[in-house]
Amino acid sequence: MATGRAAVRGKYSAKEVGLAFAFLAPSIAVFVTFFYLPFARLLGWGTYESVRGGASYEQVGLGQYRDVLTGSEFTDGLWHSVLYVFYTVPVGLLLGTLLAVAAHRQLKGIKVFQAIFSSTLASSVAVSSVIFFFLFNPAIGFFQVSWQSDPDMALFAAALPSIWQNLGLAFVIVLAGLQAVPDEVIEAATLDGYGPWRMLTRITLPLISPVLLFLFVILVIFGFQAFAQIEIITKGGPGGASETLVFKIFQQTQDYGKGAVLSVGLFFVTLVVTFLQFTILERRVHYGDS
Amino acid sequence: MATRDVLGIADVVDAAPPPKVTFGRSSARHTWGLVGQYGFLCALSLLVLGPLFLTVIQALSPPFTYVNEGRPLHPVSVAWKDRTWFSGGPISLVVRTLVVLLLVAWLQKVASGQGWRSRTLHTPARLVAIVGGAVALALATGPVFASLRDADGNSGSVFLIAVLVVAATQVWGYLGPTRPAWISVLMAVLTGLGVVGMAVLFVGPEVWTKAWGRYSLGPAMGRSLVMALIITTLQVSTAIMSAYAFVFLRFPFKRLLFALFMATLLLPLEVTLVGNVATIRQLEWTNTMQALVLPFGATALGTFLIRQGFRGLPSEIQDATRLDGYGHVAFLTKFAVPLTRPVIAAFTVISALGAWNQYLWPRAVIESNSFNTLQIQLRQVSAGEVANANEAIASALVAAVPVVVLLIAFQRQIIRGLTAGAVK
Repeated sequence: MATGRAAVRGKYSAKEVGLAFAFLAPSIAVFVTFFYLPFARLLGWGTYESVRGGASYEQVGLGQYRDVLTGSEFTDGLWHSVLYVFYTVPVGLLLGTLLAVAAHRQLKGIKVFQAIFSSTLASSVAVSSVIFFFLFNPAIGFFQVSWQSDPDMALFAAALPSIWQNLGLAFVIVLAGLQAVPDEVIEAATLDGYGPWRMLTRITLPLISPVLLFLFVILVIFGFQAFAQIEIITKGGPGGASETLVFKIFQQTQDYGKGAVLSVGLFFVTLVVTFLQFTILERRVHYGDS
Repeated sequence: MATRDVLGIADVVDAAPPPKVTFGRSSARHTWGLVGQYGFLCALSLLVLGPLFLTVIQALSPPFTYVNEGRPLHPVSVAWKDRTWFSGGPISLVVRTLVVLLLVAWLQKVASGQGWRSRTLHTPARLVAIVGGAVALALATGPVFASLRDADGNSGSVFLIAVLVVAATQVWGYLGPTRPAWISVLMAVLTGLGVVGMAVLFVGPEVWTKAWGRYSLGPAMGRSLVMALIITTLQVSTAIMSAYAFVFLRFPFKRLLFALFMATLLLPLEVTLVGNVATIRQLEWTNTMQALVLPFGATALGTFLIRQGFRGLPSEIQDATRLDGYGHVAFLTKFAVPLTRPVIAAFTVISALGAWNQYLWPRAVIESNSFNTLQIQLRQVSAGEVANANEAIASALVAAVPVVVLLIAFQRQIIRGLTAGAVK
C-alpha cells in the first residue's frame, strides 16, 4: 500500500487510482450502457414522431412531449397506476402490521406461524398472478366472477395477487421493526398501566414508524412497477381499462418516439413520488436519535 | 394485542374454540386469552395460506369436473400414478427421500428447542425418529398409493394406518423432560399427518410430472437458473469491487462517482426499458443470455449495502495488515470479504431471488418461446387452453419450488437482506 491515511490530502498514488478505476470499471460500464446512455437517448427520441408506424421518424421538437404528456394515454395510464397503488399499498401496510403484531409474542410454536406468514415470499409475481388468474377465472375458478372483463373491477383483479404476495414481505419487515423495539420501553409502559391497545397506538406504532415508512416506499415502488400481474390477469383490458403506465410503455417498445415520452413521464412521476414520500412523511416519523 | 406475556406450553389446558378473541392478562382469563391468541393466529394463517390451499385443490382436479360437481372444497377425480415410493427416476427418488429426511430432522430440531450445532440430533431417540420416519413413510406410502389408484374404498383407513405407522416412529424423539407425554403423541400424529399427506398430495398424482413434461418446465427452469446464477455472480462481484474502491481507496471524483452510482436508483428498468430494448435490438442480442444478464451486472443497492459492511470494519485491521505487508487485493480477499460475510451473504440471496423472479425484462427481450425463462413460460402456459388448466396451475406451483428451497435454506440471510435499510 503506497499511501497511508496520513498522506497529504489531494495527492493520489497512481497505483491506487488505477486499482480503484479497475475495480469500478465493470460497474461504470453497466451503469453507462444500461442506465445513463439509454435515458439520454430517450430524452432525445422524445422529440421525434414516428411516421407510418415506426418506418421513419420526423423531428417535431418538444411538441410531442406536450401532446403525449397532456393526452389521455399518459393521464389514463398514470391514473391506473395510482389506482393500483391505492388498491395495494394501504391494505399491504395494514395486513403486514396485523400479521407482525399477531406473531410478535412469546408463545410456544410462534416460529411456525412466523414461517407461515412469511411464506408468500416464495412466490414470484408470475406465480401469484397465475394462481389468482385461475382462482378468479369466470369459467373454471373457485370464485367464478368476471372481474377480468369488467372495466371497474379489472384493475382490482390484477391487484389481488400483489396484495397476497406482499403479505410475506410486509410481515417480515414490520416484524423486524417490532423486534428492534427495546424491551425497556415496553416494560416502562406496562408499569405506567398502558393497555394493549394504547400500547400499540401510543408506543409501538410510533416507534416503528420509520420501518412503516420504509415499507410504504417499497410498496409504492412495487405498485408503480406492476406489470406481470396486469399482463397475465387482464392483458390491459377490457378496452385499456387496466393499462398502467408501465404496461403502456411496454406496448410502445416499437414506437421509440412515443415510448420515450411516456418513459420520461414515468421518470418524473417516480421523482415526484420519491420526493413527496421523503418530505411529507419524514416529518411525521419518529427516528430514535432526533 | 401487543402484550408480551411469557407463557409456557403447560398453560394449554382447554383446546375448545373461544367465543371471541380476548387478550386478558388476569389469571382468570389467562387460558381463554391464550386460546384466543392461537385461534387468531390460525385464522391469519388461513388468510395467508388460503389461496395456496385452493390452488392445490384446483391443480389436482380436472377443472370442469369440479365445476360440474358444484365446486366441492376437495380434490375431484384426481389422476393417480401407478407407483410406489420407490418408482420414478433415481434422482427424483433421492430428492423425495432427502426432503422427507430433512423435514423430519428439522421438526425434531425445533421440538428439541436447540440449534443445529449442539449435537441436537445425535441422540438415539432422534436418529430413530429421522431414519425410521423416512423408512416407515417409504414403506407405508406403497399401499396408500395403490389404494387411491384402485379406488377400492379403503383409502381412508389405509391412509390412517400409514399416518399412525409414521407417527409411531416419531414419539420417542419428541419425548422430553418438560413435555407431557400426550403432547408428544399429538405432535407425532401431526407430523405423520403432514408427512404422509404431503407424500399423497405431491408424489401420488399425475398432474405434477405431466405439467413438468408438457410445458417443458425443465429447460425453462434451467435457463432461469443459469440466468439467476450469472446475474448473482456479476452483481456480488461488481458490488464488492466498487464498494472496496469507495471505502478503502483514494482516487479523484470519489464523491461525484458515488452520487452517480446511487442516482441509478432513480432510473429503474421501467423508465429505461424502451432505450434498453433498442440497444439490445441494435446489438442483435434478442433471445440471448447476455441480453438477459448484462443490464443487471451492477447494482447501486449492492454497492451501498456492502459499502456499509466495509465501513463497519475496525480501522486497526487495515493498519495491522498493512504493516504485515498485505496489498489491497490480498486485504480484500483475505480480510475484508470474509469479515463482512453476513452482509455479502444477505445481498447474494436477495440478488438471486430478484434475478430468479425477473419478469418485465425477459419478457421484453425474448421473442421466441423456445428461449422462455420460467416466469415467462408461466404466462405462456396460463394463456393456453382452459380444459387443461389444472396442469397450468400445477406448473405455477412447481415453479415456486426452487424459491421455497432457497427460502428454507437461507431464511436468515433473506430476512436480513430484505430488512436491510428498514432497521439499523
